[in-house]
This record gives sequence, structure tokens and C-alpha cells, in this order.
Amino acid sequence: MPMGSGANPFPSSSPSRPRRPARWGNRIFAFLTGAGAVILVGIVLALFVFLYLGAKQSIDTFGFRFFTISIWNPFPYNVYGIVPFLAGTLITSSVALFVAVPLSLGAAIFLTQQAPRWMRGPVAQLIELLAAIPSIIYGFWALIVLVPIMRYDIEPKLYTYLGWTGLFSGTPIGLDVLTASLVLAVMVIPTITAISRDAMAAVPISQKEAALSLGATNWEVTRRSVIPYARTGIFAGIVLGLGRALGETMAVTLVIGNSNHVPKSLFSQGQTIASGIANQFLEASSPLELSALIEAGLVLLVIALAINVGARVILGRLQTGRGVGQE
Amino acid sequence: MVRQRSSRTGLIAVIAVIVVVVIIVGVGYGAGWFKPSSSKTSSSGCTLPSSTPLTGAGSTLVAPLMLAWAAAYTQSSISYSAIGSGGGITDITQKTVDFGASDAPLNPSQWAAVPSPGVVTFPESAGAAVPIYNLPGISAHLHFTGQILAAIYLGDITNWNNSALSAINPGVTLPTAAITVVHRSDGSGTTFVFTSFLSKENATWKSTVGYATSVNWPVGIGAKGNSGVTETVLSTVDSIGYVDINYALTNAVGFGAVENPAGNFILANITNIASAIKDSNVVLPAATNYSAWYNISVLNAPGSEDYPLSTFTYLFVYTDLGVAYGSSFTLTQAENLVDFLHWIVTIGQQASAGLYYVPLPAFAVTSDNATINALLYNGASIPVCVPTTAA
Repeated sequence: MPMGSGANPFPSSSPSRPRRPARWGNRIFAFLTGAGAVILVGIVLALFVFLYLGAKQSIDTFGFRFFTISIWNPFPYNVYGIVPFLAGTLITSSVALFVAVPLSLGAAIFLTQQAPRWMRGPVAQLIELLAAIPSIIYGFWALIVLVPIMRYDIEPKLYTYLGWTGLFSGTPIGLDVLTASLVLAVMVIPTITAISRDAMAAVPISQKEAALSLGATNWEVTRRSVIPYARTGIFAGIVLGLGRALGETMAVTLVIGNSNHVPKSLFSQGQTIASGIANQFLEASSPLELSALIEAGLVLLVIALAINVGARVILGRLQTGRGVGQE
Repeated sequence: MVRQRSSRTGLIAVIAVIVVVVIIVGVGYGAGWFKPSSSKTSSSGCTLPSSTPLTGAGSTLVAPLMLAWAAAYTQSSISYSAIGSGGGITDITQKTVDFGASDAPLNPSQWAAVPSPGVVTFPESAGAAVPIYNLPGISAHLHFTGQILAAIYLGDITNWNNSALSAINPGVTLPTAAITVVHRSDGSGTTFVFTSFLSKENATWKSTVGYATSVNWPVGIGAKGNSGVTETVLSTVDSIGYVDINYALTNAVGFGAVENPAGNFILANITNIASAIKDSNVVLPAATNYSAWYNISVLNAPGSEDYPLSTFTYLFVYTDLGVAYGSSFTLTQAENLVDFLHWIVTIGQQASAGLYYVPLPAFAVTSDNATINALLYNGASIPVCVPTTAA
């Protein structure tokens, strides 16, 4: 059916306004999509309400002391403080990032700047595949492969050569904070690498060519033009990695040694907030312990949100900075 | 126009948020109300089999036995969730199940949380805690005493080459190696019996750690569940742990003999645990006396061949089912529950030994049957319909 540009089948409708019959459809569409968004927001709010209600007994009993009591003692005291869990969470996450960030950035730089072109795609895909491996699989791997290596090879050497630092004192058993940190590092490397790689790959070629034309070496190009340009993405990758490390449960539970004490060294057994909840929730010995575990969950949720919000603020600043400084 | 629509969407959004929050919170609070709705109460008893399944929750330790019972019991279907003893106690406290199962009796804060009309406590099976270890090259079953186990778990004995340990293990060359202590990371009836035993045997343990389903361990690695402890010990050379008897018997792990009050080192098996519980001759307390149940002990039975670390495992059921659950729980269901409970403490016990559980001794069966007969429905006794031998 030939149809010229002037043959408008709906001559009455005005191009600037939607037709009348479409309004109901629009409303329904707006309602449905709105409801979807609202339900998600509602679930988050309900989560907070739930956690608060569940944690109320513990909040009323311990108040702010929940953050200063350094024991988790169901018996004989029935007293619970988050300090051991918080210490375990912060130590494992920071050690994991300490190990993972340089490795991830190295991999990302290699994949975007150094590697031959035929290699980049497949290797990047493989790394992204690593991010999809369920954490329990990492946990199994850690328990069966990593723990014996740590126990017999790595930890005795660390003890001999670096024991004087105090970081590596105690008996190397393999089931400890250090092993848990390394498992976390392995788990967050794909996340950080994949996102940093994307950010570095998005650096405009002109940015690099400008540096190259000034006689910059490969390293100088990377350091002075690629990393500054991609830093927002790199930072986002690190924050996502941190988020994964903070909340990781099963893999950590399998190797951290599950002891409710503040770790004395990296060879100590410990407990993260997530592993503490996983270990004790079903068998909580009293309503108060259950409530304290829920409060620990609330704290974890708040930390995760705070990191996300903080990251957004910093990202906003970084992006503004880049806009002003470089473009 | 676009602006108007978005403000309307905003209003809808606010309303929907409130609705969703109210609904979800309501569901949470109401979880206890969602009992399966059932048919009208029958006028008189004896309407078995019932079409409504009985629900229970709790101990993972007795779960295999519970599943075997559920399969063998024909009068109604039994739905048991192995969510852990603590979870079972929470569920019976919140009235979301018909019976709760736990490896330990209710502790003081748990019994304080039980709502009116209160629950009865009665043993439905028995077990024992067994020390396991990983010492390559040592095939003999090591000997332990309560004192030595306590010292190891206190961190006072740190090396296998300890003189006290060597003294009770003549002919065994113990390695000069640090002991890696493994304990449960979750609350557990096995921990309850193990720490009860250490408290009885060692004054320092009693005053500094005590006994409970979950304690503040001075040393060691935590592992989740009997299976987690077994796996950790199997994969960690020079380690020691404790598990329930069926895990020691069914895994290729070294396990030790423990000295009993008669001075003999006893290697646990179903027979000597059963005889220990029988010989303990403990007077089972009134079904609703929570504190008495918390303190009863079948540890350190007097018989010369009795295993010293034995324990009961428990079920909890409301004393008055009509009062506890209201009209959603019919008399028929109550009759059905009573029949099932009678069945498991009598006929059901025959299934125990084959699954490495310890059958109840006669005095416990008698006590249990009396407890079950005394259950009420709105103040009236519950008719027993089917002879318990019929299943």
C-alpha cells in the first residue's frame, strides 16, 4: 500500500499531544511501572522495619554498648557485642582489597594496554565468568586446596620471616582470618578487574594518542592518561568488590575458623558479621542472642548502604573533577 | 500534563509504599496465624486417619530418624523441617508447628519465652558425644578422661605429647605436635552434653565456661554442624573434635574411648549408651518442670561398661493443644498428634538402632506415655483412638 508522507491515517491527532484514547493506556503503564519501582522501595523499607523490630530487644538491652562489648557470650553471661564480628569483617575485607586491588588493576591494564588484541576479548570474558561462580564453590576450593597450602607452605614461611611484625603470630592452622581474606580477594578480583577494564577500555584513543605524541612510554600513558581518565570506573569497581567482600558468607564461614573472639593476628580464628549470623542464627540459644544477631545484620546493612552512598558522593566529586581538569 | 501525571504517580507511590510495608510487616507478625485451615471439629474422637498433616521442626541430628518415622507412620503424613534445635524451639514457642525437637532441654531464657499454656518436655531418643581426632599413623582408639578433654578445650594441654595424655595411653606414641581444637560454631545439643560432661569433671571448666548449647570457647576452631566438625577434623592433621555418636560410627575418623566412673575406658556404641541411660536410673521430672529437665543428667552412669557422655534428645508439645492453637487446631488433629507421639516412643524406637540412634529405655517410655496421656484439648483429655500397636 503506497503511502506518501502527507497521507496521515489519523489526521485528527495533534503531533504535540498524545491522542485521547492513549491516556488510559499511559496511566495504566505509569501505574504498573510505578508500582514495580515502589514495591522495590517498599521492600527495602520493610527490610529496615523488620530488622529494627527483630533487633529491638538487643537494642533496648545493650544500647550503644553493642558497639563496645568485645565478647559474644551466649553462656554464662548472655551478653553480646558486635566488636568481634565487626573486627573480623573489617580485617578480612581490607586485607582482601589490599591483595586484590593491585592484582586486578594489573590485569585490567594488561588487558586494555598491553595484551595482543586477539587475547583481550576471550581473557576478559573468562574473568567475567569468574565473577559468576557461586561463592560456595570458592568456599569448597578454599577448604580443600587453599587451606592445606596455607597451613603447610605459606603460613609457616610467613611465621618464620614476618612473625616479628605481630601480624603473623600464633599457630598456623590454615583455617584463619588470613585464608578467609585471600578467598575474599580471589572472589573480588573478577569484579574489580571487569569494571576497571571496562573503564580503561572506554578511555578515548585521542587521550592516549595525545600522550604518545608527547613521547610518553607505555607506562607513562597508562599512569598519566589512562588511569586518571578511568579512575571513576576503577573506584566503582573497588567499591563493588568491597561490597561483595563485606557480605560474603558461605566461603568465609568455611575457612575463617568461626571463633567469636577479636582476632589477635592474621593467624587467629575469627568471625565476620555474615559468618556469625550464618553460624548461629538457626541455633541461637536465647531470644536475646537471636535479637543481637538481627542487630548485627542491621549493622551490616547500614555499613553496606553507607559504603554505597559514600561511594556515590565520591564518584560524583571525581566525575566533576575530571570534567573541570581534563576536558 | 506530564507534570500532573507524575505528581499523581507520586501519590500512588506513597500509598503503595505504605501498603507494601503494612502487608509485609503484617505477614511477619501474622506468621503464627497461618496454620493450615482445617475441617470442622468432629463431634467425638476416633476419626483417624486424619487428612491434615502434622508439622514439626527442629533438631537436624534426629532428622534422619524423624524421616524414617514419618515414612513408617501410616495414620497421617508428618512434615518435619530440620532447621536446627534452636529453630525448633523458636517455632514451637511461636506456635507455628505442632511439635518441636531439640537435642537439649529448654534453657532458662527459652522457657521464659514459652507462652501459655506451656509445653511438656519428653525424651524421644538418645545419643552421645564422642571425641574424634586426626592423628595419622595411630590406629588404636586413644583413651581420654574428662579432666584431659577439659584441659585440651581450655587450652591448658596444647600438645599431643602431653605427659598426662601419654600416661593413660601406654603403648601409643603420640606425636610432638600442637593440638588443633575443633568445636561447634552453632548452638548444639552435642555441645550441651559435651560441655555438661566437662563441667562435671573439671571445676575450672565449670566456673569459667560452663555448659550450654553454645558457650564462649576459650580456644579452637568453630565448625558448623556435626558434619562440619567431622570434615574439619578429617582435613586437619593433629586436630581433635567431638561429634554425635552416629557421625563417629559412620565416618572413617579416629574416635576415642572415654573413662567412666568405674575407671574403664569405654568406646561408645549403641549398646553401652543405651545401658548407660538405663543404668543412670534418673528420675524423669514432671513434664512441665522446665528447670528440672534442664538439670537432669544421664552422664557418668554407674555401670562398669556404661559410656559416660550420654544424653537424651527431646520433643516439646503444648500441654493443652486447644488452648494453645485455638479452633484452627481440631480435636482430630490433637488425637492424631497424640497417636503419633505414642507411636514414636514405643514402636518407633525399633527403627533407632539401625540408624545409629539409641532406643529409649523402658522407664523413659513409661514416663513419656504418661506425659502424652496427660495432654489436654480445651481442658478435656484427648481420646486415644487407635491402639498404638496397630501401626
